[in-house]
Amino acid sequence: MKKRIDLMLLVTACAFLLFSCTEEQNFDQIDDLTVTPTLATPLFYVESDEQTINNSVTTTTFYTQTVDFEVFSETYVAERLLEGTITYAIDNTTSKNLFLTIEFLDASGNVLDVESFNIEANLSETFIREVVYGPGGKSLDILTATTQLRITATNLGNTTSTSTNADPKIELGSAAEFLFQLK
Amino acid sequence: MRVLLRIVFLVLLGAFSVCAQNKELLYDFYEIPQALMLNPGVKTPQKWHVGVPIISGLSFQGATSGVTVNDLFANDGIDFTTKVQERLLDVMTRKDDFSTTSQIEGITVGFRGKNRPDDYYSFGMYGETDIIAYWPKDLAILAFEGNGGANLGRRFNLGDVNVRGEMINVFHFGINRKMGNDLTIGARAKLYSSVFQFQSIKNKGSFTTTQGQDNIYVSALDADLQLQTAGVRGFYDIVDEDTSTTQKDLTSLFTERVLLGGNLGLGFDAGFSYQLSPQTTLTASVLDVGFIYNSKDVWNYTLKGNASTEGITVYLPEDINNLNNDLWQELLDDIEADLPYGENTSGYISFRPVKAYGSIRYDFGEGGNSLMDNCGCGVNAGGGSNTGMYRNSVGGQLFMMKRPRGVQAALTGFYQRRFGRVLALKTTYTVDKYSFSNIGLGLNLQAGPVNFYVMGDNLLSYRNLADSHYLSLQFGFNIISWNDN
Repeated sequence: MKKRIDLMLLVTACAFLLFSCTEEQNFDQIDDLTVTPTLATPLFYVESDEQTINNSVTTTTFYTQTVDFEVFSETYVAERLLEGTITYAIDNTTSKNLFLTIEFLDASGNVLDVESFNIEANLSETFIREVVYGPGGKSLDILTATTQLRITATNLGNTTSTSTNADPKIELGSAAEFLFQLK
Repeated sequence: MRVLLRIVFLVLLGAFSVCAQNKELLYDFYEIPQALMLNPGVKTPQKWHVGVPIISGLSFQGATSGVTVNDLFANDGIDFTTKVQERLLDVMTRKDDFSTTSQIEGITVGFRGKNRPDDYYSFGMYGETDIIAYWPKDLAILAFEGNGGANLGRRFNLGDVNVRGEMINVFHFGINRKMGNDLTIGARAKLYSSVFQFQSIKNKGSFTTTQGQDNIYVSALDADLQLQTAGVRGFYDIVDEDTSTTQKDLTSLFTERVLLGGNLGLGFDAGFSYQLSPQTTLTASVLDVGFIYNSKDVWNYTLKGNASTEGITVYLPEDINNLNNDLWQELLDDIEADLPYGENTSGYISFRPVKAYGSIRYDFGEGGNSLMDNCGCGVNAGGGSNTGMYRNSVGGQLFMMKRPRGVQAALTGFYQRRFGRVLALKTTYTVDKYSFSNIGLGLNLQAGPVNFYVMGDNLLSYRNLADSHYLSLQFGFNIISWNDN
């Protein structure tokens, strides 16, 4: 009986194998897969009302702040960063001309790059600047070596005038959109 | 061998993703004792049967409702990333799934009651592995395309994550009773012994990046995610320790779990066959109405909360004296606090995937007095019925199965032909979400007391196995004694 079972099993297996076939497959293709998502993220936002600018009596620089910023210097990110854009959006409804700077600092405090903005008083529309990094733009090394940002806002006008706009203020927003190679 | 390897690969591919458990060829194929497992109320022409241990019932199924192996890996010279984009990301939906199911029958025994010849008792044990994973469309797009560019404003649905799998051993006992000339009913009690179970099936939430209220963008994450596991950590720990006794420890734990040492559950099957006329039979069954209570070796992982960010924000004059330079880390800490990751060991109930069959069969073509000698007609046919003498059967079947994302259904038309008492063939055409061209063929061979059956689904796909959306193979050996009264 065992022989009979073995024979039937063999015949069945052979039948399925004989009558089945498959086109040539190449599973090594998976090595060629590239995954390059575009990631978008807000970075920082600074807002000040006009009264704060007027109240700053020590210097014309009414705000300066250095913050840790290791988003792009993280090893995993730095190794996969291909290209991208940082967008700055500025609204100024105060009566002051303002000078804003964003300094990119490395771990030793060295300034790697500076982005500066001369902003006129009473801007009628949002000022937009897009800074490209990577091919055709600034070096990606600036970002991958940046561990801190220093944001400085300077009043180029007086400290007495007041805008007639409702709720006058200066707003600096920023966002990044970068292409990464995950695989 | 290469073909065999590819079959194995296809099944494994399914294992990484899920399953279709429809056994339309075996259903109501009452010459085969295993038909009792699909309808406890099927006609039982046997006096007794014993399955050959381990090889009495083997079935393997793998299915994908979307992309096939050939779609991606055919040696066609097309860039692989392009194929992934066009054949996977652009085409597959969150309703597409990958699945695999396998069953190995360890023991099966059936016998007719001595004092109640209308009763046919059966019992046994089988192991089952069932894994299903739905295509996480939105997360795949997020990974491949990101949230930038054209995807700004898009709501990525975290509920697309939906996976479930289990390996169980089932001990069962069933009674099949002929209630009269027209009706046979049956029921089967099941005791489930779980080897492992995992499920992540009630996820909710979203991730969006849109125009911010103050800043250019705001990213918002709303998550209610949970992965429940039972029996997985024990195996993981053994493998992770990687000692000289790893193999032995794994075997020991597996054996313990198979033999009621793990999480346990209860369930039942029920079914009937009713002869509307001497040539027309209606059948229906419901299978695996049951649950497993998972209380041992439970590890659940959760991520629940919501957070949104516009990046580092400084508002003057409120923050004029905040000279802390850890604003970025604070931002990350805030997000982490708003989206707490948790682990717990709370027990949970997992429900078995309930299945239901229904069929109508019309027999025709009387075969004379020698067609089904010893077929058992004396017990299971009567009242003028001479079902066993018909050479041909034709009919339709309906299969439904409860899945995490609703009911999957399949519709089958079949034709069955009997060649004396030795051979019976059944061919089916099935339509379901996996295929519109599923033609199956089943063969039952009776050589003396030895019964052998083999069934294969979706035969047209055998021209190119790698391009198949669905593959199924069942076979087994039994020793049968037919009714002689």
